[in-house]
Amino acid sequence: MKDWLDREPRTILSDQQVWNDPKQIVALLANFYDRLPAESGLVDVNDGSDGRLFQWRDMANFDDAMWSGQSNEDGRNNITSYNYNSWYLWNYTFIRDLNLALENIATYGVNLTDDQKKQYSAELRFLRAFNYFELVKRMGGVPLITTQLIYDYSGNVSNLQQPRAKESEVYDFIASEVDAIKNDLGNDGSASRANKYTALALKSRAMLYAGSIAKYNGLMAAPISTPNGEVGIPAAMANNYYQQSLAASQEIINSGAYTLYRNNPDAGENFFEAVTKKASNKEVIFVKDYLLPTRKHVFSYDNIARGIREDNLGSSSITPSLNLVESYEYLDGTSGALKIRTADNSDFIYYDNVQDIFANKDARLYGTIIYPGTTFKGLQLSIQAGVMAWNDTRNAYDIVEGSDLGTTYTDGKLLTGTSGPHRSIQEVSNTGFYLKKFIDPNDKTSTRGVQSDVWWVWFRLGEVYLNATEAAFELGQTGIALNYINTLRERAGFPANSVTVLTNERIRNERRVELAFEDHRLWDLKRWRIADKVWNGSTSSADAMIYALYPYRVIRPGNAHDGKYVFVKMVAPRFRAPRFFQLGNYYTAIDQSVLNNNPKIIKNPFH
Amino acid sequence: MRYLLLTSLVLIFAAGCKKDNFEKPKSTLTGRVVYDKNAIGVRSNGVQVELWQHGYELFSKIPVYVGQDGAFSAILFDGDYKLVLRQGNGPWLDDADSLDVKVNGSASVDISVNPYFIISNATFTKSGTLLTATVSIKQINNNLPLESVYLYIGNTNIVDQVNNIKSTAVTPDISGPVTIQVTLPADAAYYARVGVKTAGVAEQVYSEVKKVE
Repeated sequence: MKDWLDREPRTILSDQQVWNDPKQIVALLANFYDRLPAESGLVDVNDGSDGRLFQWRDMANFDDAMWSGQSNEDGRNNITSYNYNSWYLWNYTFIRDLNLALENIATYGVNLTDDQKKQYSAELRFLRAFNYFELVKRMGGVPLITTQLIYDYSGNVSNLQQPRAKESEVYDFIASEVDAIKNDLGNDGSASRANKYTALALKSRAMLYAGSIAKYNGLMAAPISTPNGEVGIPAAMANNYYQQSLAASQEIINSGAYTLYRNNPDAGENFFEAVTKKASNKEVIFVKDYLLPTRKHVFSYDNIARGIREDNLGSSSITPSLNLVESYEYLDGTSGALKIRTADNSDFIYYDNVQDIFANKDARLYGTIIYPGTTFKGLQLSIQAGVMAWNDTRNAYDIVEGSDLGTTYTDGKLLTGTSGPHRSIQEVSNTGFYLKKFIDPNDKTSTRGVQSDVWWVWFRLGEVYLNATEAAFELGQTGIALNYINTLRERAGFPANSVTVLTNERIRNERRVELAFEDHRLWDLKRWRIADKVWNGSTSSADAMIYALYPYRVIRPGNAHDGKYVFVKMVAPRFRAPRFFQLGNYYTAIDQSVLNNNPKIIKNPFH
Repeated sequence: MRYLLLTSLVLIFAAGCKKDNFEKPKSTLTGRVVYDKNAIGVRSNGVQVELWQHGYELFSKIPVYVGQDGAFSAILFDGDYKLVLRQGNGPWLDDADSLDVKVNGSASVDISVNPYFIISNATFTKSGTLLTATVSIKQINNNLPLESVYLYIGNTNIVDQVNNIKSTAVTPDISGPVTIQVTLPADAAYYARVGVKTAGVAEQVYSEVKKVE
């Protein structure tokens, strides 16, 4: 009778069942991988307890792009200043689940082999280290919780209230965790589960961040810090961090496990494929993968160029700025500023074809951005703002723009292209450019019915090369640094040894163009402590404002310029307020509810 | 039966209205941020002071923005508040001491701060398209150095580092009067203002806004 009452539940799995069954554990791991955050990503995930994990629209919040999509998101073009709570993350729910899993696997996993136990624990610790990196780069030093915190019902919670660790301690924790687990991870060759090189890529990036915060915070007129080091890393620690970063990068590069993607002889297409293509891609190290027909997203629907959209709505949301386009250098190594006006600024420069102005540019421009005169998915894009008709009486050009897209001028030829640009219509580029990186090149993927399964790239070898370049340069090993940066630039179509003199500006520009839209720009500007200078809130600033480039067809019968193309540079018409990053934005404000619950947590500076 | 239902609905609505409708706050708190009895000019929408009220379950600040003339105001419920500067927010030294404020009908309070710099005797003279500003700048405490001095031109009477149509910066010797010049852009009306930026402090301290005739 006693046994009869003692039943096994049929709808609940016990800890013993879960932690002894590799299938159950892998299912749990899938949930944990899915909860890793990024700032932008390709989707919009707002998980109730973990917080905002992905917000692809944030790509339009900085200086690489603006918002040209549906007009109810136009606030992204009118951010008078970044809120102090921007980029907030406090997902200790996730940390707790990881700590709980680590303890349970040790307690209950009696039937697992030692190797299985080691591997699963290593993956959990990788996920935890990754998440602490996401926390520390936003919030500064956070409480380092590595065990479950259990309330004992004593009425006293002070043992649960943990203070913030030093910023440097969190970075040190990431480094030591990676060192401890990297040989236990397994998963060789996997891009969606962590292996040894994924962990090293995390270390390569995290140590570079720590090194540059230590160095460049110390160089500020008034370094941002708190008395106990929750924010701010002493400058003396910079070299050690740079060395750790360089060593991790070199271990990845020298292993030969990954190679720069070079499968397509066309350098521009090759760069697009290096990020987007999944088949035989040995460049990507860690991704958030999607798979049609069930695991998919609408990033292509929201961001495909207007003239080739396959749905009746959407498109054109994230549109790259002229600022970004001009940071792609010419292949001869000269500055990337486009040649729009004659040297004495008396007249336009006339081009036979609309794409000629972009000739001989860094091939990564083609791989990242759709510009006038290019094709995508084999379709020609029609990008033209209007016409410049010569007015003999005024002795000047009259600018004529269409009130709608795909319109024809009185001469029977194109007025405004089917892809704009247009000054005011929503869901058409306002800058004259469209996003190409991360847009799915396959048929029907920009429809809401089919959707896209392009992956989000967290780490790829291209970034590791740049991490190695920067760390080596900061350590004075310029020869090594030049070797890495030039290898990467050769892949982009530059001749061998195209950089001979390395500067901070070179390296920073190289990161901007190589890693555009991969969630680096904000964090890079923050760790170099130049975000408040670049995004200074001034309407006269070349960086804080978003610029557009509008192409026009010239109508001037009888003149040599008739039928050619000219370009006008302007502040994007839908762009309203300059980007304004204040000193209080270097570290995100900790929520008042967190401060109320735990009096040991101190506020970040300026809040 | 139907009438009974309707009547009860009316009753529920009437009662419901009484329960969730609170009287809106109507007491006012006004004040200024001052040094040596003079209000300090700041950026519009930039500098905050915080009001806190203990004793309720919801404990979060009531942010109060300081206007560009250094004055602020808030409409509040009667009660006891603590007024404190937002740390690291204004062009003055941090001070975490709070002021006790009792609001009953209305209250007025001046917050004394210790600014890095103050500006006095600002004059603006226009000749042709050239505007010349002359100001005296005095360093009040030596904790942080001067970064630069800006002259801002706006075409509304709200002028600061964000709201301007043109600006120019100099890094002057401030032992004597400082002169800054700017060529006026082609616009109808001008308002001018001088801002002083302390190194490592985001917010500047400003002179009064003057209309340039």
